[in-house]
Amino acid sequence: MSHPLAVLRVFALALLAFSFTLLLPAAAAWFGQDETPAAFAAFMSGFTATFASAVCLWLLTRRYANELRGRDGFLLASLIWVVTPAFAAIPFALFFPSMSFTDAYFEAVSGLTTTGATAITGLDALPFSVNLWRALLVFLGGMGLLVLTVAILPLLGIGGRQLFSAESPGPVKEVRLVPRMVKTALYLWPIYFALAVACALGYAWAGMEWGDAVLHTLATLGLGGFSSHDASYAFFDSPVIEAVAILFMTLAGMNFATHFMAAQRRSLSFYRADPEVRWYLGVMYASVLGVAVYLWQTDTFPDFPAALRFAAFNVVSLATTAGFFNTDYALWPFFAPLWMLFLSSFVSCAGSAGGGLKMMRALIVFRQVTREVVNTVHPNAVRAVKLAEASLSNEMVFAVLAFTFAYMVSLVSLTLLMMFSGQDLVTGFSAVVVSFNNAGPGLGSVGPGATFASLTDFQTWVCIVAMLLGRLEIFILLAVFSPAFWRK
Amino acid sequence: MERLLAVINVFARVALIFGLAMLLPIGISWWLDDGALTAFGEALLTTLVISAVILLATHHARRELRANDGILLVVMCWILLPCIGSVPLLLGIPGLEIADAYFEAVSGLTSTGATALQGLDELPPSLNVWRTELNWIGGLGIIVLAVAILPLLGVGGRQLMRAEVPSPIKDIHLTPRVAETAKGFWKIYIGLTLLCILTYWTLGMTWLDALIHAFSTVALGGFSSHDASLGFFNSPGLEMATIVFLLISGMSYVTHFMALSGRSLRPYLRDGELPFYLGVLGVSVLMIALYIWFEGVYPDFPTALRHAAFNTISMAMTLGYSTTDFSKWPLFAPLWMLFLCSFVTCASSVGGGLKMMRAIILYKQISRSIVRAMHPNAAILVKLGGAVVPDKIILSVLSFSALYMVSLVCLTLAMAATGTDIVTGFSVVVTCFNNTGPALGAVGTDSYGTLNDLQLYICSFAMLLGRLEIFTLLMVFTPAFWRK
Repeated sequence: MSHPLAVLRVFALALLAFSFTLLLPAAAAWFGQDETPAAFAAFMSGFTATFASAVCLWLLTRRYANELRGRDGFLLASLIWVVTPAFAAIPFALFFPSMSFTDAYFEAVSGLTTTGATAITGLDALPFSVNLWRALLVFLGGMGLLVLTVAILPLLGIGGRQLFSAESPGPVKEVRLVPRMVKTALYLWPIYFALAVACALGYAWAGMEWGDAVLHTLATLGLGGFSSHDASYAFFDSPVIEAVAILFMTLAGMNFATHFMAAQRRSLSFYRADPEVRWYLGVMYASVLGVAVYLWQTDTFPDFPAALRFAAFNVVSLATTAGFFNTDYALWPFFAPLWMLFLSSFVSCAGSAGGGLKMMRALIVFRQVTREVVNTVHPNAVRAVKLAEASLSNEMVFAVLAFTFAYMVSLVSLTLLMMFSGQDLVTGFSAVVVSFNNAGPGLGSVGPGATFASLTDFQTWVCIVAMLLGRLEIFILLAVFSPAFWRK
Repeated sequence: MERLLAVINVFARVALIFGLAMLLPIGISWWLDDGALTAFGEALLTTLVISAVILLATHHARRELRANDGILLVVMCWILLPCIGSVPLLLGIPGLEIADAYFEAVSGLTSTGATALQGLDELPPSLNVWRTELNWIGGLGIIVLAVAILPLLGVGGRQLMRAEVPSPIKDIHLTPRVAETAKGFWKIYIGLTLLCILTYWTLGMTWLDALIHAFSTVALGGFSSHDASLGFFNSPGLEMATIVFLLISGMSYVTHFMALSGRSLRPYLRDGELPFYLGVLGVSVLMIALYIWFEGVYPDFPTALRHAAFNTISMAMTLGYSTTDFSKWPLFAPLWMLFLCSFVTCASSVGGGLKMMRAIILYKQISRSIVRAMHPNAAILVKLGGAVVPDKIILSVLSFSALYMVSLVCLTLAMAATGTDIVTGFSVVVTCFNNTGPALGAVGTDSYGTLNDLQLYICSFAMLLGRLEIFTLLMVFTPAFWRK
């Protein structure tokens, strides 16, 4: 019952809309100072190629205007996150003559999946327009992800996602894909934009230049972690800017559906009712304290306030899977960065642009395991897994557990692949974890002090696959590659 | 309190029997006059006296144990028996620290085979016999425990035993059929051990080495009387024989039992785990052999295949013998071997890890989830060996696996917090948790002696947690367990 050609038609329209966003950096390259003609040419070529491809695709498929339903979402989401980056990579490939297509595609995937791992060094010397395009990719990726996580994934029921739509503002009962996506976008994007404006004002107030404020706002809201400086936030060396960043990263890591409800009804009670928020804040800020004490005790920083400042920024940044940094945390005693990687795999909330398992699933897994333990003590006790006072069906718990397990297996397999290609364990494992959780810089030779450019082509592709798998919640990609999907 | 005393009473009896196991090394020590006789004598005497005192003191509290008491008993045994087991080591090896001795005894009883000792070749033979005898008792113990208690816990993978519930201790209700099964397991285990001793002896080991290595081979433990492990003998014939015994020990004892009692090979054909078990092993051996050959670790393929086959199967079976220091191989190979040790052995075998049965169920459940995502109304059943696996079991398998992963992560973080590097910390946790033995990094395939006391206790805890399949140990720490 799926309609691949009709999906292509919708994808063509999405690509068309996407092509116009290339005009933004092109305009920046045209009007800005310190810009090179090469940048403008790169963006215009990118725009032309994307626009032309989108139009051709639309012309070829416009006859297939079937209504899209649930299953078509698999193909649509896969196309958007796998194919669009190929077009988004064109300006990079043209602007950096020495850059391989692999690295350009990596950069674009990293942007659109809001990972924020970069393969480019010398960011400070780049024209504004190129950095704008990188940050814009993160922002657009974030917009796409809100629709994906709130409208499409629950419809497909990936890993128990149905659960997450219970409180969502969108059209919960709507089964037609396109109207559902459009309505969700109309609900959530205004919140996203409003937060972006507030964030930019905050950064400017804290002392960033306007250009940097815009770039970093785009990356903060998408939880992407691209910066216009090699040193990321260490460049500013300002606790106030870091505090603003922490605030907006924390907000961006929450469920946007909850933001929407709170804004619409003008009440903070929705945050209290959200089963994830208290755990999200609790785990994250307890970790900040714990890591700060640890760093202080191990003499990484001479005094507690300094330890707290660096712990707060880097822990929140990695836990929300943003991926900014204000010091090279890969040099900290090993436990701290390992804990941060651990956090990145489950802290951010469902319905945000954050990556990983999501707090919701972690809670359900935790409660199911508790139930299992209690059930072994009292074999006849009947207990349900509850979330926000509602009990979950076994079916749902199954889905969440199976997803969690697929997540673990993917991590292990991808790490083994990295090892197979001859990478050391710290670099290989951390690169896979951060890519898979869409977090940002890892440890070892992909740490904050370096870039992903040092990886071989094969290893870069492993990271690309990891980012896409993580972003598309594993099952979407797996489904599209399974024979069952294409069978009549 | 009454309940606790009753459990302590049974525990004292178990300790008494456990202490009598020292008679074997005492006999050997007396015969060879290796100087460890006093150590064993004192240890035995202490054990007997303390057990007897506890037994008498708690005599009035004697009563029938209930299911939950059985769990408490198991946990008590696994935590406290290693204390008794470590006494001869402490007395017989001057300068050994308590943490190392306890670690060694836990490693023995959980049939892990990680050792904190060095200079095994110079130890009194009777001490080496005691170490591997611990392996042997632990290997057997866990099966009896599995038959007796785990199915009652509803822990997935043991559902075959579901119909036959209680516990190995005589004073608890024992249905005739459970006794029969348990006895059958004993017979197979002892028969296999005798066969193994004979084979090793025929292939050129001294009878003492044959006894020591047979004990740890059949239990999938991994203690050896040589620092170089099986590399000491450098004999391909011996390695082949070991592989055969490993493969037998890594299979389900239930299948062995059914095959022997029915005198037919059909149960092996119907065992749903076996094809995966053999398939994964075969493919992994070939792959690792090719990999280390291409990487130039060995000049020719046959040598690479010999070392890959032995070390891979030894790790996958959670034994932990080695013929060479494979932690020096390119990292992918030992990492893959660690990966194997976490799931390859069959359910109801003496091996450690997640068990192949759970791995298969997980794999099938994930495929089912993918198909369900596309066809929400499809009714798909998970099958194993032709039988449908009920949802309840899938749920407990999934929960167990989640807990398994979480435990791995937490233990690794704990090791990292004590200051190990990631290769050492991670590999030590994986190998201890799966009751395998050799690790990578600073520990390598030889000795855990380089770890500090805290790290050794974390490792001991990991071994116990892995051996008791997490839930059993965890339950005792829940408030619900202690509530009336």
